[in-house]
Amino acid sequence: MDHTLLIVVLVVVLALFFDFTNGFHDTANAMATPIATGAMKPKVAVTVAAILNLVGAFLSTEVAKTVSGGILTAEGPGSGVPTQIILAGLVGAIAWNMITWLFGLPSSSSHALFGGLIGAAIVGAGFASVNYWVLLDKVVLPALLAPVIAGLVAFTATKLAYVITRRYDGLPDGRAGFRYGQIFSSSLVALSHGTNDAQKTMGVITLALIAGGYQSQSAPIEWWVIAACALAIAAGTYTGGWRIIDTLGKGLTEVKPAQGFASEVSTGAAILASSHLGFALSTTQVASGSVIGSGLGRRGSRVRWKTARRIALGWLLTLPAAAIVGAVAALVAVLGTVGVVIDVAIAVALIVTIFVVSGRQRAGAAQMKPTAIAKGVSDVAKSSRVVKIRKVKPKRPKRPKKSEVAAGPGKKKPKKKGKGKTKKGGKNKGKGGKGKKYTQVKGKKGNA
Amino acid sequence: MIDWISFFSVAFASIVGASLVVALYAFGLRLLSTAGRPPHVEPAEFTDAITVVTPEEAEREAKRVRKARKRSPLSRAQKRLALAVARLCFVLCAALVLFGVWLIIPGFH
Repeated sequence: MDHTLLIVVLVVVLALFFDFTNGFHDTANAMATPIATGAMKPKVAVTVAAILNLVGAFLSTEVAKTVSGGILTAEGPGSGVPTQIILAGLVGAIAWNMITWLFGLPSSSSHALFGGLIGAAIVGAGFASVNYWVLLDKVVLPALLAPVIAGLVAFTATKLAYVITRRYDGLPDGRAGFRYGQIFSSSLVALSHGTNDAQKTMGVITLALIAGGYQSQSAPIEWWVIAACALAIAAGTYTGGWRIIDTLGKGLTEVKPAQGFASEVSTGAAILASSHLGFALSTTQVASGSVIGSGLGRRGSRVRWKTARRIALGWLLTLPAAAIVGAVAALVAVLGTVGVVIDVAIAVALIVTIFVVSGRQRAGAAQMKPTAIAKGVSDVAKSSRVVKIRKVKPKRPKRPKKSEVAAGPGKKKPKKKGKGKTKKGGKNKGKGGKGKKYTQVKGKKGNA
Repeated sequence: MIDWISFFSVAFASIVGASLVVALYAFGLRLLSTAGRPPHVEPAEFTDAITVVTPEEAEREAKRVRKARKRSPLSRAQKRLALAVARLCFVLCAALVLFGVWLIIPGFH
């Protein structure tokens, strides 16, 4: 029994570490846009994000129930998935996260977690230990649908924001006010991140507690599990703040306040609604979907399909790849005590490597080494490059008239008349209006 | 079994919720500028890594805002009404967000 207790404690520690890195990873997702558009100062933004992640983790436990009670069958010691397999799954998830982080691949820590757990469970406890319907319903389909839904929502919201505030009279449209709005919308994203991502860790810890026989299947999530996960994700968010500055230099350059506001409200709404129904989705992917959707909602936008394909491929790869890593970890774990020790040693080695590399990155950031910084770009920032925005000058049909009125019958009137004439001339002559219009005006000017 | 109804409700709730929040906020901004008080927000100061708005652009925008505040075709009462409705929009927007958060907290039901 002591053996099980030790493994459960290890699972708790590793899961909390995973939660910490999750927060560390994702600060940029929530807070990069308001800082980029100047809505918030970095330090304030990071602090707010950390606090809201903390609060968000306490809001709901639906996702945690999905993880602990749905996907894997763990009914207590002796049946279902044993604790060492959960440990192996966690090690797999951490390893996969580490790999993608080192190579700067687009990934999702949530999918790495599920992939690792599923891979480990299949190898360690057989195919029957996974509830495939629940997996499909609560993880795989949300993973595929959520970014698309978020993108659609963001597209609509961005269109609305622009259409409602669009003015043709040349007066300020008040869109700068979206900067204030972003303070709240990004807070909403941070809150929703806390509700969805912290809960996944709660679910894993609870799963281990159930598997180890320390908690019954039907019991609610322990309060200390909720508190520990909330604190871990908040601490991670706060610590990860310095990476934001890197992200900004490289990533989000073309996000306007109106667009940022719309995309963040969409992300927040989509994640909160999903959390409520127990869908465990990847917050990174939802945020990326929103950024892409809102980019498409702007005028003159075009999709860079190559970039989009690369990101989508990374997303699709995460789950199976992490499953393979988890399966390998489980193969080691089933060897017995030696295997568990090896797995734990690997995990510790990975954690140490993460700290060493991130320390070096931090030093690199201080010395402005671009190669070191480039890896710190958040996935959401990368996804903003999927949409290319051609600069479109807003049409202001009324403006010349107004200036004409303001200036009175002066120099501008004949110019206008001339324009009208050339237009008519262009129309009468049919095609090729643009070039002819231009030459005509030029000719007139030359005459005068 | 796949619970398609849940998917549909997530999609529906997020599209309606997000659109309403954004639309209300945008209407608020629109009315603010109609009322002759377009918001002007200087980008916060931070490291030089970010150049979203240049100082020249910010200055130009500030000038436009000052100009717009001076001339407006609306009467004083109309302006006051627009301002009041704008504020109502912002309040409704905030209330909607809080309602959304309230909905998902099981402790309140």
